[in-house]
Amino acid sequence: MARILFDNVTKYYGAVKAVDCLDLDIHDREFLVLLGPSGCGKTTTLNMIAGLEDLSEGDIYFDDQVVNFMPPHKRDVAMVFQSYALYPHKNVYDNIGFGLKMRKYDAAETDRLVRDAAERLEISHLLQRRPSQLSGGQRQRVALGRAMVRQPSVFLMDEPLSNLDAALRISMRAEIKELHKSMQTTFVYVTHDQAEALTLADRIVVMKDGIVQQIGTPDEIYEHPKNLFVASFLGNPPINLLEGSIVVKENKTLFRKGDFTINFSAEVSEKIAQYAGHEVILGIRPEDVDEKNAAVFGQGIAGLVDTVLPMGSEQYLSMHIEGSEVFFRVGKELRHRDGDEVNLAVNINRLHVFDKRSTLNLIWA
Amino acid sequence: MRSSPKRDIKFRLARRFDYESRSAALFILPVMSVLAIVAVFPILYSFYTSFFNLKLTRPHRVPFVWFDNYIKVLSDELFWASVSRTVSFTVMSVAAILVLSLSIAILLNESFRGRRLLSAIILIPWAIPTVANGLLWKWIYDSGFGALNGLLFQLGIIDSYITWLGDSDKTIPLISNSFVWKEVPLAAILILVTMKSIPEDLYRAAKVDGANVFKRFIHITIPSLKPGFMLVMIYETMMAIRHFDLFFLLTEGGPAEASHVVSWQIYVETFRNLSFGTGSAMSYILALVTFALAYFIIRTLGSKL
Amino acid sequence: MKPTTFDARSEIYRNKSQTTARLRNLSIFVFSILLLAYVLGPIAWLLSSSFQTEAEIVSVPPHWIPDEPTLKNFEAIFFSEFEEVTYDTRKKADPVSGGYIPSTAKDLLPSMWNSFLVSIAVVMLNLFVGVPAAYAMAKIRFWGRDGTIYTILTTRVIPDIALVVPFFLVIKNLGLLDHIASLIVTYLAVTVPFTVFILVSFFESLPDELDKAARVDGCSRLQTLNKVFLPLSLPSLVAVMLFAFLTSWNEFLLALMFTQTIASQTLPIIVAGFTSDFTISFSFINAAGVIAVIPPVVLAVMFERYIVSGLTAGAVKG
Repeated sequence: MARILFDNVTKYYGAVKAVDCLDLDIHDREFLVLLGPSGCGKTTTLNMIAGLEDLSEGDIYFDDQVVNFMPPHKRDVAMVFQSYALYPHKNVYDNIGFGLKMRKYDAAETDRLVRDAAERLEISHLLQRRPSQLSGGQRQRVALGRAMVRQPSVFLMDEPLSNLDAALRISMRAEIKELHKSMQTTFVYVTHDQAEALTLADRIVVMKDGIVQQIGTPDEIYEHPKNLFVASFLGNPPINLLEGSIVVKENKTLFRKGDFTINFSAEVSEKIAQYAGHEVILGIRPEDVDEKNAAVFGQGIAGLVDTVLPMGSEQYLSMHIEGSEVFFRVGKELRHRDGDEVNLAVNINRLHVFDKRSTLNLIWA
Repeated sequence: MRSSPKRDIKFRLARRFDYESRSAALFILPVMSVLAIVAVFPILYSFYTSFFNLKLTRPHRVPFVWFDNYIKVLSDELFWASVSRTVSFTVMSVAAILVLSLSIAILLNESFRGRRLLSAIILIPWAIPTVANGLLWKWIYDSGFGALNGLLFQLGIIDSYITWLGDSDKTIPLISNSFVWKEVPLAAILILVTMKSIPEDLYRAAKVDGANVFKRFIHITIPSLKPGFMLVMIYETMMAIRHFDLFFLLTEGGPAEASHVVSWQIYVETFRNLSFGTGSAMSYILALVTFALAYFIIRTLGSKL
Repeated sequence: MKPTTFDARSEIYRNKSQTTARLRNLSIFVFSILLLAYVLGPIAWLLSSSFQTEAEIVSVPPHWIPDEPTLKNFEAIFFSEFEEVTYDTRKKADPVSGGYIPSTAKDLLPSMWNSFLVSIAVVMLNLFVGVPAAYAMAKIRFWGRDGTIYTILTTRVIPDIALVVPFFLVIKNLGLLDHIASLIVTYLAVTVPFTVFILVSFFESLPDELDKAARVDGCSRLQTLNKVFLPLSLPSLVAVMLFAFLTSWNEFLLALMFTQTIASQTLPIIVAGFTSDFTISFSFINAAGVIAVIPPVVLAVMFERYIVSGLTAGAVKG
């Protein structure tokens, strides 16, 4: 059981800052996801927890102990790698049992733990095989088994699902979540897949260029993104962005881009009235519109549908607002066709307004 | 909490001497100590020696002579004659090695029955000791009973037996021939290995584009072989420049001075004249020249490390 | 389009491709034969002359295949130590040529043993010294890594002949002259850069994540090397062992400098001693040559696969 604390940690590769002044408190038994595009420093952070990379400045604590330069084999961590990194010359049984052997568990205990883990992961029938004789999904399970069998106090995963095909990925997500529940230990999980992060995490750390953008629960991150990067990194299809300005007119605060205007709710107006005249970017998530209640809200977006993208359970409409392309999600009660005229109501309680220069969210920051 | 200078030093020390650095040091230590004693020290020591008039025939008077040894060597006509012999030996050997090894590599890159056996057999010259190589060719070249005379005579190419190694016009080319025979296998394998690493798709694409065998060879094989070719060329040049064994075994620098090359002269100067100072100076000149070539080796090989 | 036309055309193509295939096979055959002759011709001549009597070997033109093959040259090598060599027995030389079997014939087997000891020791030390260094350079990011690599490569760039004098002085000061240890130490320095180079290339080709996985699983650096990397690098290890063995077995120049008596002289030195003596029987020298050639050739042909794969790791990237 461990709490991990990063105190102002910086990591240089030569002159490049891979991680910049990282302060991070990972709670005991938490499922924390490090999310960001490649090169954002998330894997470096994970490696620093494992002891696979040293740090250039700052301190890392496990509970109350400073572990800055403690080598990996002295830390009670286990790790699952993207390429699985199974030992090619050992069979599945020995792959899973290797960590126990290195930690001097006796043979009977090792045998019991390995077989238990194999049972749980449903790979008991594969124990005598070599990694080269396994499918990708089976290798993934062996890698999980190798890590969980030791019951480490910190469980690290570096993009463990990105080499699997889509269907398998979804089902493995559920298993990993299950695993976290039953193991009752700290999980740190690195991914660039926002859907994975939203599904698995207790808390998400969004990183970019070595700098933490936001830390919060999946809901906080999705609903109240602190800046434009976080808002656009999460969500599929991504949030619609419109450049314009804030105008205060007749006691009402509104967003204007050319002829297109939208009124803010009273609550939001209060927060952003001070930015009147500022250049801003308005963010509307594709799902924050409604067709049926257009009349009720009165905050409509009317226009012609360029293309309809049916998705089975719903449909996406591609439209243009003052020259910018936007996507909206609507139900499939009404079947649209290309060129139809539609009238959509915007949920004004869920709008995002970002300062154009600082990219900070003016409502939630 | 972290900015006190005392802590900084402690942190930096911990970082410099962390587990990784300590294990690396431990792993590197054996090889570095061996090389320090048996390579780095001798190299530096020989540099040092090259500034003294050190003669083992007169061991108690060893004056420091600045660059005199170098000047003496560089103004010695025999030295320059040796240099030109080394150059011609190197040029003809390397050219022959390149041509032969490329042809062999092309052959072995084809698939046919017995290819594996053939590629094992061609390693034989590379594996045999230079001494055996020397005595083998000395016997072949023997003017009285050697195979070369016998063969050429039986084929009717020559009317009477000829002097081979004893003829100063033929000495260097003949020694070069025995050198090439031994060096070709390794060169061929290096080129073959590069050839095999050319992606098959390139050839398929060219075939689809309508290139015939010869066009494919010129436009794909040759350019892709450049790294392997460079490696072989540089490596073999270095081997040829420094080559000593065959000159000792076949001719001992003779007849007269016909095979008196730089490496042979270094040997004579140090171990027959016992003049270590000029010998070292000569060694250093040779080393520096090879170094210029090594620069390319490190650029081509070292950059990949 | 009539089907017949189509058939006729495919017939032409088939004939054409058959002709090219035949041509290809023929040229492969011819070139293979030429290559075999070039490589094996000199060896065959060596072998043939080693089985000839002194009378036969001096025939003009030469007998390519001995009329009366004899084993007396090999007998001399393997049994001469039991014979008293005196001025008189030396006179039992071949009456036709006057060539005789030298008294040093009995040194051949002991020198072979010296060669063997030196080579085995060099191979062992190469592994002991080279493997950890190569692993560290391939997988540990440490301060001075590049400098180390360049130093190691540089030592191999300087010609042996240029190092002979300082080597000689070092060996003399260590009191190792005429001792096989002098050869072991210097051969180690000569072979280890290549060992390190090949193994670094190989270790680098193994994924970093494998290294990380082992360390997170609880291996120290040494355990990672022993339990994960070494079992995977057998082919490369065989290749470097072979290279170190052959280099040591074949080395001539340094052995010429450092050895003086049979206490330390290696096979190449004893054989070279024969060739410089004009009175020694040609067939005997050739037999000695055959003896010197057999072990390295057997090894090279046996492990040809590993030589190629070992070089592949290092050369292709260059």
